[in-house]
Amino acid sequence: MVLTKRQRTNAVRLGFYLLTGAAVAAVVLVPDWRDLQRAFFQWDIVTEQFPDIITTAAKNTVLFTIYGFGGGLTLGLILALMRISSFRPYRVFAGTVIDVIRGLPALLLILLIGFALPIATDVRMSRTGRASIALAIVASAYIAETIRSGIQAIPAGQMEAARSLGMSYSRAMVTVILPQAFRIIIPPMTNELVLLLKDTALVSVIGFTAAERELTRFGRDGVVSSANATPLVVAGLVYLALTIPLTRLSAHLERRAGRHR
Amino acid sequence: MRTSKLRRCLLTALVFAVASLAVACGDDDGDNGDAGAGVETTGSATTGGAAAAEFETITAGTLTVCTDAPYEPFEFEDESGEFTGFDMELLRAMTTNWGLELSVTVVPFDGIWLLPTAGDCDLVASAMTITPERAENALFSDPYFDADQSLLVRAEDAETFATLADLEGGTIGVQTGTTGEAYATENAPEGAEIVSFDEAAAIFPALESGDVDAILQDFPVNAFRSTQDELFVVTERFPTGEQYGFATSPENTALIDAVNAQLAQARDDGTYDQIFAEWFGTT
Repeated sequence: MVLTKRQRTNAVRLGFYLLTGAAVAAVVLVPDWRDLQRAFFQWDIVTEQFPDIITTAAKNTVLFTIYGFGGGLTLGLILALMRISSFRPYRVFAGTVIDVIRGLPALLLILLIGFALPIATDVRMSRTGRASIALAIVASAYIAETIRSGIQAIPAGQMEAARSLGMSYSRAMVTVILPQAFRIIIPPMTNELVLLLKDTALVSVIGFTAAERELTRFGRDGVVSSANATPLVVAGLVYLALTIPLTRLSAHLERRAGRHR
Repeated sequence: MRTSKLRRCLLTALVFAVASLAVACGDDDGDNGDAGAGVETTGSATTGGAAAAEFETITAGTLTVCTDAPYEPFEFEDESGEFTGFDMELLRAMTTNWGLELSVTVVPFDGIWLLPTAGDCDLVASAMTITPERAENALFSDPYFDADQSLLVRAEDAETFATLADLEGGTIGVQTGTTGEAYATENAPEGAEIVSFDEAAAIFPALESGDVDAILQDFPVNAFRSTQDELFVVTERFPTGEQYGFATSPENTALIDAVNAQLAQARDDGTYDQIFAEWFGTT
């Protein structure tokens, strides 16, 4: 039987509909929903999580993210500018640092900075301070590469034009190139911010007080005290309440930035 | 077991959608290899006389044990990568009598007593104190070890932090989900900060670096550490009457009966004393 192109498209589409329908039916029919709810969503355990999950856990997650991203942005910008510098030692240094950081798991860096730093040196710093620095360092390498790609996406003529108007290199960079570059990199930077927010789940490895717990740790402790997985599900929902608005905001900023160009 | 079966079903269903749905969920236990064969234990390896017991293990021929290693001197890896320590040797004596292999799974301590119910292991052996809260979700063996809580500090602070009350304004390191954490939360002086760590091994560097001023945890562990490492001393012992037990899922009475029979036998025939002397000197 020979099908026309349109018939073939329709047949494929029908196939996909059937597959999707079967998958949905499987999800709805196969699990024992009572069992699942007992294991993952007991309402009285859900209510027990509040208000501490917001006032302590979510607050700490957000603070770690802000400190980490703020530090990461500063360090990342410096690394990016060094990476595109005309002075070779800067380029080599920044390239090496970025490679090393990107090549190491975030957990390992947090352990290194959290444990090894205070033993190796006499630097006295709070646990949250060390955790934030570790997060900032982790973020800086990825942010540096993002900023570099943004800068290099601006046509070279822009810099040349600015310089020919008599601007210095740094003035041209700050007033002409970087503002345009940052507009371009809003989506990947939001991505970076969301990744960092999720990486804050790792900082509890270096120790924590009850008041320093972030969302994942809070959820894990809840699992132990309630012998039920509900606290993890609630923590997950709070993460989503933080990350989904962020990605939406980024989409909005992207549209607005597009209008201004 | 229930959840893993579900997950497997769901995955299969999603991938193969219609065709394999009935097959995947209809007959799930035959093909996954972890149905586990019943094990006959006669207990007659040494003195004999113990009643025959029968229990099933997750993997046939192997007793899978969850533990939070390293936790010297109860469970840790020796130079050859073999798990050893008081708990491990006591268990090895049992599995040898049963003719089973001992397989060790290392997991974090918090909530470790829930893992047999989750189907991750047959038995938890992790220097774990028997508490009423834990016994709500796990089945414990007879106690096999008496332990107290204690305070470990840096040797140079031995006089500054001679008692728990001296730690006002100081920081106390504990391990998440332990009875030491509970004791510290209840008894530490008002101004003391309690810092929890995921694993016991992480607390010692924190004490060494000055991140915490004291470690509050089980006496045998602190005491063993102070004999191994002259940086630290035990300054106070809190008699809590805590006892360690092995644990399994609430339904698995067959396994716990077999464990209890073996424990009684080990105490009778001197195996227990021999292992105790090996790790703690004289009895």
